[in-house]
Amino acid sequence: MGIKLENIKKTYNGKAVLNVDKLIIKESIITGILGPNGSGKTTMMKIISDLLNSDSGSISYDGQNFDYIKDNITYVSHNSYLFNDTVYENIAAPLKFREMEKDYINNRVLELINMFKIDYLMNENAHNLSGGERQKVSLARALAFKPNILLIDEPTANIDPNFIKLIEETLKTINKRLKTTIIVVTHNTAQSFRLCDEIIFIKDGKVLKHKDKNYFKNPKNEFIKEFVRLN
Amino acid sequence: MEHILEGVKGAFKLILSLDREIYSIVLLSIYVSFASTIISAIIGVPLGLLTGIKDFRGKTILSKIYYTAMGLPPVVVGLVTVLIISRSGPLGSVGLIYTPIAMIIAQSLLVTPIVTGIVFTNSKDRGKEIIEICKTLGANRKHTFIKLIKELKPLILVATVTGFGRAISEVGAVMIVGGNIKGHTRVMTTFIALSNSMGNYDTSIAMGIILLSISFIANSFLYNRTMGENNGYKIRKY
Repeated sequence: MGIKLENIKKTYNGKAVLNVDKLIIKESIITGILGPNGSGKTTMMKIISDLLNSDSGSISYDGQNFDYIKDNITYVSHNSYLFNDTVYENIAAPLKFREMEKDYINNRVLELINMFKIDYLMNENAHNLSGGERQKVSLARALAFKPNILLIDEPTANIDPNFIKLIEETLKTINKRLKTTIIVVTHNTAQSFRLCDEIIFIKDGKVLKHKDKNYFKNPKNEFIKEFVRLN
Repeated sequence: MEHILEGVKGAFKLILSLDREIYSIVLLSIYVSFASTIISAIIGVPLGLLTGIKDFRGKTILSKIYYTAMGLPPVVVGLVTVLIISRSGPLGSVGLIYTPIAMIIAQSLLVTPIVTGIVFTNSKDRGKEIIEICKTLGANRKHTFIKLIKELKPLILVATVTGFGRAISEVGAVMIVGGNIKGHTRVMTTFIALSNSMGNYDTSIAMGIILLSISFIANSFLYNRTMGENNGYKIRKY
């Protein structure tokens, strides 16, 4: 079971950007979404995270209406907006939205700050951070409330190579420990092989292939083969 | 050149003399401008935010209307206000013509589009971004609204102070609806225009200095609020 997309269609100015007949994204695993620019990857992520309405179709989770899990989904893009406040307050925000206990908030924020090795940024204003630092804070903030489904668009786009491993390991640990369903959009095929269990390849808004990652190491489809070779 | 220096000297003398007329004009200017800015902010901030954040049919046309209204000629606004509140106009019986209230109405008509336009333009992208991120983090409507106002506070301040700057420096509309009556509707700008035409450069310069000082104080307030410690513009120490 997992996230089931049926007949999801989205058009912009008369052009179909997403057209998915049927797709099941398994729960508790890491699924990668690969595809050329403009293939509909981000549109799909935004529709799943309820930031965008599809023109038609439906999404369900474990056979139930998707609405019941919407509060437990979060989406992080490579340039997510950070609040004009300290890094600590940014990470605490989703917990404060949920009106959690003060002590719990403090412990959880410090745990994430240590996890992402950003303790030196704790009292900095988030608007003063570099691209990579912002991305780490965005990810830490998204994980604060332990979401069931985590959607990430280019998780390491601005991250220093030294920290890419840290981010990837963190995502794997969260997936194993908390059974979080993680969906990752990436252009980096090597990263998708390291990080993901399954990969969905999208082209022109349609799912071209949805297989175990091993398939993509030596794909039969010529287009995917060329894409993997170049990326 | 000499008359300018004499004017500056006389201006400082006048400012330090605590002339009653000068200071009553200053106070009336501040009162009228402040009141019209408050009215404009009460109308313009929510209107700009709401129309900026929401997507709806006709938004492009609305933005064009906003931009046009931001550049309304003050004399036209003054004329329209006079036509409405003059004795023969639809609100003539209220007796507002040549009163400070008439000046507040005219200035509000000029300043509201400025506040609305600035908030609208700047909240279009930023506001949507804030709402989206609040949604992905599980914020309810109340929390989203609080965050939105908190995040857009510098922008709201910029719009309001810009509106105040427009109001306090306005001359055409207040001249028409207020009539520049001594001790009743005379404000700094109309006083400067009158003194200048009478050749009283010292009083004109004195009032100009006071006007600039008020503008400086308003902008300093804005600078402190938007460029202060925790607003995201601080330069990193490392």
